[in-house]
Amino acid sequence: MVRHPLVGYLVWAVLFGALFAWEGLSLARVASLPTLSDVFRVIMRYPVGRWALFALWLWTGWHFFVRGWHFLLRA
Amino acid sequence: MLAGYLLIMTTLGVGLRLLARSKTSGPHEGSQTAERPEGTRPAAGSRRGWLALARQVTGTAVGGYLLLMAVVIAYYYGVARVAGDFITSAFTGTAMLIAIALPLWGTASWLTERRRQRASHDAGQREARSP
Repeated sequence: MVRHPLVGYLVWAVLFGALFAWEGLSLARVASLPTLSDVFRVIMRYPVGRWALFALWLWTGWHFFVRGWHFLLRA
Repeated sequence: MLAGYLLIMTTLGVGLRLLARSKTSGPHEGSQTAERPEGTRPAAGSRRGWLALARQVTGTAVGGYLLLMAVVIAYYYGVARVAGDFITSAFTGTAMLIAIALPLWGTASWLTERRRQRASHDAGQREARSP
């Protein structure tokens, strides 16, 4: 497994770049791409989809604000 | 990081698949962005109001928490034994986030709804007074 943090940052940069590009193209109505809002709306119709989104939100908060913090929120 | 990546891509992939399926089945064609969010629509026959909202939010929070814990445990035992108190931090850290966020969200929702009701009540009174 690659240990260099730069690879991780690159993967996230590519992922978010792709997401922003997708959203930009769909809002500009270039091709018939659905917007992220459309996608999330469909996901949230179903309980399992809501669980997955909540789990994603929870993981984001835990990863960035709890894990590794040694000041107020000690992990 | 891998767990987050998998969660994001799986969720978006499933959403796209569902969207494609619902488009082919017909009723949601055309302007999609102008629709009311369907996630907030009460299901047919469900009770409305605060009780229904509380039930849905509780179900979502519990389901999401359990799903994330399942992913975390599967990742820890199946992919990589992360150093430190990874599992303990996952259980307690996410529970703490829920304990902080849900009361704040509930209070904000209640205040917003109260303000909206007051505004509509005041507008109704003004209309009743005007000739």
